[in-house]
Amino acid sequence: MELFFMSLTTGIMVGGIYALVALGWVLIYKCSGVLNLAMGELTLIGAYVTYSFYEMGMPFILAVFLTLLVGIVLGFLTERIFLDRLIGEPILAVIMVTVGLSFFLKGLIGYLWGSDTRVFEPSVFDIKPISVGILKISPVYLWSFILAIVLLIVFVCFFKYTRWGLSMQATADDETAALSLGVSARFVYSAAWAIAFMSAGVGGALLGNINGINISVGYLGLLVLPAVVLGGLNSVPGAIVGGILIGLLQNFSGTYLDQYFPGGVKEIVPFVFMAVFLLFKPYGLWGWERIERV
Amino acid sequence: MSSVWLPCGDYHQDYREDQGWWQTRFIKGKMILLLLVAFVVMPLLLDGYWISVATMVGYTAMGALGVQLLIGYAGLLTLGHAAFIAVGAYTSTMLVLQFPWPQFMLDAGLAYPVSILAAGVVAGFWSVLFGLPSAKVKGFYLILTTMAAQFITVDFVLTQYISQIGGRGQAFSLPPGTIKIGPWVIDTELSIYFVMAVLLSLMIIVLANLLRSKPGRAWVAIRDNDIAAEALGINIIWYKLLAFFVAGFMAGVAGAFWVCNTAALSPEHFQWFLSLWLVGVILIGGVGSIQGAVFGSIFMVVVMELLQLAVIPLADYFPQLLMDFAYIKDMAFGLAICAFLIYEPNGLAYRWWQAKNYFNLWPFSY
Repeated sequence: MELFFMSLTTGIMVGGIYALVALGWVLIYKCSGVLNLAMGELTLIGAYVTYSFYEMGMPFILAVFLTLLVGIVLGFLTERIFLDRLIGEPILAVIMVTVGLSFFLKGLIGYLWGSDTRVFEPSVFDIKPISVGILKISPVYLWSFILAIVLLIVFVCFFKYTRWGLSMQATADDETAALSLGVSARFVYSAAWAIAFMSAGVGGALLGNINGINISVGYLGLLVLPAVVLGGLNSVPGAIVGGILIGLLQNFSGTYLDQYFPGGVKEIVPFVFMAVFLLFKPYGLWGWERIERV
Repeated sequence: MSSVWLPCGDYHQDYREDQGWWQTRFIKGKMILLLLVAFVVMPLLLDGYWISVATMVGYTAMGALGVQLLIGYAGLLTLGHAAFIAVGAYTSTMLVLQFPWPQFMLDAGLAYPVSILAAGVVAGFWSVLFGLPSAKVKGFYLILTTMAAQFITVDFVLTQYISQIGGRGQAFSLPPGTIKIGPWVIDTELSIYFVMAVLLSLMIIVLANLLRSKPGRAWVAIRDNDIAAEALGINIIWYKLLAFFVAGFMAGVAGAFWVCNTAALSPEHFQWFLSLWLVGVILIGGVGSIQGAVFGSIFMVVVMELLQLAVIPLADYFPQLLMDFAYIKDMAFGLAICAFLIYEPNGLAYRWWQAKNYFNLWPFSY
């Protein structure tokens, strides 16, 4: 029973980090309809930039804040240089540009920071886990979970009540109509990328505190896809719920299935689940269903 | 198809003529010349290093043809093609190494050729399995299921289970002399090149023939508008799965060829990178044309080799460069994809078509 609760809490907490990254993914899709396969690399950049600032001797909070600023600049640049010219192109072209971008960024990160694992020194969060009853939670997970919830509330409010959020949703729904109403599509797209870079940056900064940073952390960007599909491509709460569910699924399968299928079942289960899930409910739990007409 | 320029005054009288292989004598001559170059001139002119580069081009093209069929002709986006290449490679290796072949077949050198076919069939059915969701979803969602195919097949099934067979850990290696086709032992770079050239030519012929017959037309109809295609009476699920089977078959053959190229096998050869690389190749070469897959392979492989050659002399001054070459390669590949998509979305095949048109009218253009 203790094993069960351990898996449960770890699952939820790890899911919180997935949710953070999935949030950035959904934001880009929601605002610009771009399917971003470079999310893992954005996370990596966030982690490395925070690490570099932290190594210079800044406090962690300031480092994260500066990472956010860098994220905004990078987001604007990426959108202007690569994606701006592809508005209205077929889906494959846009996806493959993000794939090209992910290769470029991965190469750049490898070139700048090398392939060694970097660890935040001195460690930012307390290593000693917090005990609640029989449960032990490590503070990193707790903080990322709290942050995911806070960001969720912020983004939901942002989309619902602010002018920018509304214009983003309008652009995603019908670009032509939004343009005719005076929404600047180019601004909306750049803002979406800036926000995604920022959210990935925060996710990366927290992730880097768990096991250190190396280039394989970018794999997480792919693990997020099952979470996004599960929640529905354009649903902000869906990203959070999907992230947590995938975290749970992963940890439970790691605990209970590993004895039957030894070796790495944990990494694969989300993808198996996603492939089967798509057969039955391709639009996820809360995604908009697109009805096709000839 | 009938983008062929006929001599003035010639017209196609019926559909059969319009779809013919050799529409003019010039095309026939050109194709024979191309075969001569591939089978006679290249082996004579190129030395060992460039022959192996040409072999790599061929391997890339074999993989890219399957991707081209799926993405370019059937409109089924795939990002997991390396999985099917891996299935083919492992099937072929397991058959050659573990299957109790009767002695006369070993003597006649039939084991490897039979294993190539078997690899194709197994990879084809494996591909159909992951193509099943295409009955229900398309576009981006199909990318996700093919990605799932990649991770499930290569990172789990092959790495954790199949690689453990025989107890030699991760990598398989084939003893020298195991790979025999008929009386020939495939061990030199030149013989590998010839295997590649034969397989690639066969694949191109088969694919071109498929595309000018009923399945090809059905695939193009599905790509252009699947709902309209269904209304026209095309069984779209059947043809989508057929596309997955044919593409998987080709990937399997390519994988079986890879075995004879390296004589060793490890899941490392079939990472997700390869799937993305193949899609990048057809994007650069041009989506929706067979030449595109070949042009893209030539461009990507040769450019990467040239990049490597350019880095080596610089390495005296910047030793860091050589160490980080893998990263530079990643960056170059990523930039190449982005640049082509932004500046030349039609790919190299379109440029080739433009040049051909220009010279068809040359020197008296409009």
